[in-house]
Amino acid sequence: MKKIWGKYWGKYWGKYWSKLGSAFLIILIIALCLKACIRADIPEDYTRKLPDSSIDNIVYPEKNKNITINGIDFLQTQAPAGKFGGELVISTIGEGPKTFNPCNTKDATSSSMAGMLYDGLLTTEPRTGEVIPLLAKDFEVNGNDYIVHLRHGIVWTDGKPITADDVMYTYEEVVFKGLGNPSSMENMKVEGKLPEIKKIDDYTVKFTTAKPFAPFLRQLSYPIVPKHYFKPYSDKGESEFNAFLNPNTPPEEIVSNGAFKLKEYVAAQRVVFVRNPNYYKINTKNERLPYLDKVVYMIVGDTNNEILKFEAGELDLLSIRGENVARYKLKEPESDYKIYNLGPDTGTLFLIINLNNRKNNEGKWNVDPQKQKWFGNRDFRAAIDWAVDRKNMVQNIAQGVAKPLFTAESLNSIYLNKYIKGHPKDKSVAEKSLEKAGFYNKNGILYDSDGNRVEFDLYTNAGVLEREALGVMIKQDLEDLGMKVNFKPIEFNTLVNKLSNTNDWDMAIMGLTGSPLEPHDGKNVWKSNGPLHIFNQRPQNYTVDDRLEWEKELDEIFEQGALKLTFEERKPIYDRYQTIIYNQKPIIYLYSPIRIAAIRKKFKNIFPTPLSGLVYNLDEIYIDKGEIK
Amino acid sequence: MEFVRYISKRILQTIPLLIIVSLISFFIIRLSPVDPLAELRLNPSISQETLDKEIKRLNLDKPIYIQYFSWAKSFVKGDLGYTSAGEKVSVKLKERIPNTLLLTFVVIFMTWSVGVPLGILSAIKKESSFDRMLTILASIGMAIPSFFFAILMLIFAVKTGWFPVGGLTSYNFNDLSLSGKILDIAKHLCLPALVLFTISLSGLQRQMRANMLEVLDSDYVKFARAKGLSEGKVIFKHALRNAVNPMITLLGFEFAGLLSGAALTEYVFQYPGLGRLILEAVMKSDINLVMASLMMGTIMLILGNLIADILLMLTDPRLRRGGQ
Repeated sequence: MKKIWGKYWGKYWGKYWSKLGSAFLIILIIALCLKACIRADIPEDYTRKLPDSSIDNIVYPEKNKNITINGIDFLQTQAPAGKFGGELVISTIGEGPKTFNPCNTKDATSSSMAGMLYDGLLTTEPRTGEVIPLLAKDFEVNGNDYIVHLRHGIVWTDGKPITADDVMYTYEEVVFKGLGNPSSMENMKVEGKLPEIKKIDDYTVKFTTAKPFAPFLRQLSYPIVPKHYFKPYSDKGESEFNAFLNPNTPPEEIVSNGAFKLKEYVAAQRVVFVRNPNYYKINTKNERLPYLDKVVYMIVGDTNNEILKFEAGELDLLSIRGENVARYKLKEPESDYKIYNLGPDTGTLFLIINLNNRKNNEGKWNVDPQKQKWFGNRDFRAAIDWAVDRKNMVQNIAQGVAKPLFTAESLNSIYLNKYIKGHPKDKSVAEKSLEKAGFYNKNGILYDSDGNRVEFDLYTNAGVLEREALGVMIKQDLEDLGMKVNFKPIEFNTLVNKLSNTNDWDMAIMGLTGSPLEPHDGKNVWKSNGPLHIFNQRPQNYTVDDRLEWEKELDEIFEQGALKLTFEERKPIYDRYQTIIYNQKPIIYLYSPIRIAAIRKKFKNIFPTPLSGLVYNLDEIYIDKGEIK
Repeated sequence: MEFVRYISKRILQTIPLLIIVSLISFFIIRLSPVDPLAELRLNPSISQETLDKEIKRLNLDKPIYIQYFSWAKSFVKGDLGYTSAGEKVSVKLKERIPNTLLLTFVVIFMTWSVGVPLGILSAIKKESSFDRMLTILASIGMAIPSFFFAILMLIFAVKTGWFPVGGLTSYNFNDLSLSGKILDIAKHLCLPALVLFTISLSGLQRQMRANMLEVLDSDYVKFARAKGLSEGKVIFKHALRNAVNPMITLLGFEFAGLLSGAALTEYVFQYPGLGRLILEAVMKSDINLVMASLMMGTIMLILGNLIADILLMLTDPRLRRGGQ
């Protein structure tokens, strides 16, 4: 018996040991993989809890002061004085900057990078949103005149003084000529006229607008560029100017005036800035800022990589998305970072309905005539608005890290119409609304008054999980009403082509970012001839006046709002526009994400605000390792 | 002389091929409903004037065939044009080519120096436990999708902290000493190279094994053995030289893959290589960049095949005679 067993075992071992070994190997590998993925479960109730609004108890420093030492007009921060040295590593998602020329930026990454290098005359107070001086010492507004006084004794990185000539050059020869990105020029025009600019003396400049024009003051935050460095290129014309300061420009040759100057740019990897020793901002001990030696922007391809880099300690700052907030919050107590809740974002997510009732160039309808009848009916749109469940979206898609949205202005906008309270989902209201519009429901299928089945396409850009989930949820909500919704996630660029060129779509889930400070920036969306008036896009140079009543009123509002100068005068005007959108519902707003960000505790002078975010004051941030446990 | 004529004939043959490839790819990209200006259009602060300027600059207002001819004209002159963001295509490619070459050379060197000997070994020790183990490992290597393996490796890097999470250099790279720099790059290369190595090793090892087995089974090897030659001589002198021919063709293809990179792996590891650049360019329909990379790929493929053919002529006397 023993012998047989031994023989059998021996044979088995001899012949099959490799199979056994390999089975073991596979099991081992699978086990290792699982081990790496399994994590302790997060308690259910925790996932619904948001970080406390930790920015409520922050004591903000007083406002900056001007102080003159040895004939130099410094800007003095009132934030606590700190230690010099160290570096901050942050990330930028995407492909990195495409240019460092602040006059030629067309995307967010490029403009924030160029913004590091070049300061404008004025800037925005990070908490209140009011306009305050930056490169300028101060400014006066008298009716249509804006007089800006410059600082004496401040210099470019190459030691040359910053004077009124640089300001004159920036506006006269770059902005007003539409070099680079002509959007700034277009935005400064009042009824087709550009403001006048006059040099009063070497340190004073006067701007005069043709009419009172409210957005102009904020437009004076346009970066000022050095005449002696820029002029040779701007003189050579458009294409030379566009190539000027491309990312491959040798960094040591760039003349700038920001708190940091460029050290190196490595394609698809990082942008490194070093402190500008000539910067005009000082601390309370009268030492020149910034404190940090270096600010590094790592160029990362997507948010997943950003998270991994933060976890590995390669990044000091991370903006955390909905699904990860709970996990980070749970780990916060024993970690080296602190999480801040910055409140709702400027981004808005919405469902947009195509009200287009025109034919395209080939004489075909952009939208089916029968669908035009539905979409053009306010009650139909209202039914959709009442049918979508925003609360459910916030809970299940944004993991509670968002707020329902009902207004065209974002929730952190200083012009937000607080009287629009919104409403919960109510299917019965939606059904009544449909009934009023002549629709009828037979066996759970919705028909219009002509007996056509209500069926349409719903688009969004594929690849963004959030929007795809929203689409599924909206489809479900609308199919409860008996509509048939064909949900089609398509590639982003294809979607935009549909929205702005071919106009052959029914509904779409989209997002846009607005300005929380200046509602006039939304004119491209709201004016009936705007290039981004996507819910009723008119072709370029369209002469027929087929505006809807409320579109006319919107046009009027965006004309009038810009001509009034004070906030008190403008607020009711922009309140009205939000009311119109809320009543007419060409765009049904869904929610605004809440921004949550984590930064390592060693960084001090962090004064986050809902308007400006977490690290808007890079020049004031310093490192104090002493307090790390 | 025959040799030169053969090569020039081959090179002349590539011209119509290039034209056809460029025509097909240009029209496919341009006819797809992708708008290269999508991001600009959705930016509320961009005015119509800016859009018009961009449309003119990118020639989007002209018919497709005119766009193609203007592209072809400048391509023949050696000008690759500008990307849709306004940067020079040649500069963009030049930034990435060394990075991709570095990664692909390391990987090819590793796979060939490990894969070929392993293939020979497992062919000689056919059906042994060693061979079986290798077979299983090879199956795992072939079955694992590269991006998944790459993500596992990234998690490994984060958990242990032994390796950096993606990229090619650390942010303080320029402050390091020369040895520090080399070490830094080596550290960054480890994981992406390991992933690509594992994936391509299995295929190569299997290929080599199959070639070798076929040859070992042939009559002349049996004859050599019967002649009483030593086993080493039989394998290295007779079997290997014949088994290696298909591998040379394979090497030609590897050469073509030198510059096309491994987009998925590069993407996961945030490796600043060509693959990632081109993937992003295709998504945005950045025509000049995509066309430049496609043409480059085509030329590399043709070159690779040519090189393989020349090498084959050198190793295989039968082909040389055929040529004459």
